[in-house]
Amino acid sequence: MADATVHAHEEEHPGFFTRWFLSTNHKDIGILYLVTSAVVGFISVAFTMYMRLELMEPGVQYMLMEDGVTPNGHLWNVMVTAHGILMMFFVVIPALFGGFGNYFMPLMIGAPDMAFPRMNNLSYWMYVAGTALAILSVISPGGNGQLGSGVGWVLYAPLSTREAGYSTDLAIFAVHVSGASSILGAINMITTFLNMRAPGMTLHKTPLFAWSIFVTAWLILLALPVLAGAITMLLTDRNFGTTFFDPAGGGDPVLYQHLLWFFGHPEVYILIVPGFGLISHIISTFSKKPIFGYLGMVYAMVGIGVLGFVVWAHHMYTVGMSHTQQSYFMLATMVIAVPTGIKIFSWIATMWGGSIDFKTPMLWAMGFIFLFTVGGVTGVILSQAGVDRAYHDTYYVVAHFHYVMSLGAIFCIFAGIYYWIGKMSGRQYDERLGKIHFWMMFIGANITFFPQHFLGRQGMPRRYIDYPEAYALWNEVSSWGAFLSGASFLLFFYIMYKTLTSGEKLTEPAYWGEHADTLEWTLPNPPPAHTFEQLPTRDMWDKPAH
Amino acid sequence: MHDQDAAGASAPAASDFGGRSDEPLYRVVLWPHRSLSDRGFLLVMVFTGAMLTLPLIPLAGTPVALGLLPFLVAVPLALGFAIRRNARDGRLTEELRLWPDLVAVVRREPRGRVLRWEANPYWVSLTLHKDAKLENYLTLKGAGREIELGAFLSPEEREALAEELERALARAVTQAGGPAPQ
Repeated sequence: MADATVHAHEEEHPGFFTRWFLSTNHKDIGILYLVTSAVVGFISVAFTMYMRLELMEPGVQYMLMEDGVTPNGHLWNVMVTAHGILMMFFVVIPALFGGFGNYFMPLMIGAPDMAFPRMNNLSYWMYVAGTALAILSVISPGGNGQLGSGVGWVLYAPLSTREAGYSTDLAIFAVHVSGASSILGAINMITTFLNMRAPGMTLHKTPLFAWSIFVTAWLILLALPVLAGAITMLLTDRNFGTTFFDPAGGGDPVLYQHLLWFFGHPEVYILIVPGFGLISHIISTFSKKPIFGYLGMVYAMVGIGVLGFVVWAHHMYTVGMSHTQQSYFMLATMVIAVPTGIKIFSWIATMWGGSIDFKTPMLWAMGFIFLFTVGGVTGVILSQAGVDRAYHDTYYVVAHFHYVMSLGAIFCIFAGIYYWIGKMSGRQYDERLGKIHFWMMFIGANITFFPQHFLGRQGMPRRYIDYPEAYALWNEVSSWGAFLSGASFLLFFYIMYKTLTSGEKLTEPAYWGEHADTLEWTLPNPPPAHTFEQLPTRDMWDKPAH
Repeated sequence: MHDQDAAGASAPAASDFGGRSDEPLYRVVLWPHRSLSDRGFLLVMVFTGAMLTLPLIPLAGTPVALGLLPFLVAVPLALGFAIRRNARDGRLTEELRLWPDLVAVVRREPRGRVLRWEANPYWVSLTLHKDAKLENYLTLKGAGREIELGAFLSPEEREALAEELERALARAVTQAGGPAPQ
């Protein structure tokens, strides 16, 4: 037996290097994830600004070869590919799942840390290594005798197996490493969630954000191994003469698409489900009401997760599947509208009759609900195999997935940052600037992406550097919107700088009031390095519904 | 968590408690809180296995299945190992047995270390430190050594345990025939 010592942790003060580079503390790792994804996000947004600048007018003005006349289509393709890969794997998952998941999931369930703190550190650094590989891929020798690979984030064979240079290999490695990082992270989250919930916190009492991270972890765990296998085969096809996806050797390129989308569709839920959890807490906090239909919300997330695995081929209606297959995928896809509807209506019901406080996080959350619904509705339209014949690979699809991703997932990230920045840093953001940021982004993003529906209906295809005169108007409008959103991102960096250096200090633990009632609100701002070494008791988190 | 009939904890060898085989007056086993049951673990593994088999079914017999297989096998193994490892890291028990003339505590740590303490109940003093860094820190002092008890429990649990133990010790001393200690 341990001889008696008063053994609560002595206050440790690790140096800068130890704290941030060798960190095993879930809160510090969460912050590292958030900061890194903000930096990668900046790079990725810079790429889009360049692309929208090019698309602003018909003809090619900026992305030219060295002679200054010939359009550089390869550069365009590289930008599109890098934007997709960076945003999917290195911005949204790390921010929502890695950042908020690491910081707040253990706090919400009353665990002292993640189950495997050192593996957590490994996950983070593998993510950094993956990011480095992805960025390196952009500036390494690729196809068409130029730098970078322009094969699209989906890395479809045979385009990806024939792209010259080693840029594509680096991109594959980047996805591999980030995938391994995500799988380790997912195992960590699942173990933490299952084994380390506070006494009395049964599955049906666990906060929704913790649930959303749990569901996301399962999606990662079950979908990413398939991607890892698929891109490994891509790698051997490229380098070792195998023919998994090459018809010349008995392979099948369409099979690659099936594998990619078997991962890819769950992937879009990996991006958005943590947001679902986060938005629920924000809506409840600022409506000053408990969340409506807690159990329905939980099982809607589980339902969305499960359905996400059986609908993948709606991304590939045009590859020549039988009508029976297409009908199945069409109907299965439409079914997803049911759990999604449960969530949307439960959020609305939570707000209904509430005393709504329009603080910045609430604006982002309400903006999310509106825009995600728009994206969801165009999703139902696109799910129809017949209609998709017209819309496939047009800007209508671009508009659809940016409404759910760029306006959905990204709005969730900002909502979370404004909601929790006071908790994480001990300082509050400037409400007025926060609201300006929201309105700039909300208006900017809508001006960017709503006109792309029109372009899609006019028939403008995706992934092209140039377009005929007929598409000029809405492209110009879209570009102006993009610049406004881009400027709002710069404003965001300024707001963060101002918050962290001179924001108002917060002393009240639950500074958003009594309806922010999960366990992180029982802690000081910012929480001490070690939390819940004494497991929290039930009265700290089990608030009666009223 | 604590439990008087030690369900769920393996029966310790008699030698741990000074070779005593007679029924103790009082016995308690303490272990840290864990929220996943064995049945839950089984469910998790069956679910993972089943879900990861799905993408393999249509590919059975093709070379592509072999390309996927290593990843689909590695993931459930890693998950199972992680959950087991985490459960093992928390597998800590403290068992206290009390006879009229002996009180013994055996603590089994995750990595197999076993710590023992024995004393005569008459001389043992039990203290609940209200003002310690760890709220309601509970210690037992006897045979020249002070040990902690249930440091991993919640303060409320330690308080309840202290009351229970106080009564049991008093009973043991009375049964041993001595006067109640002051």
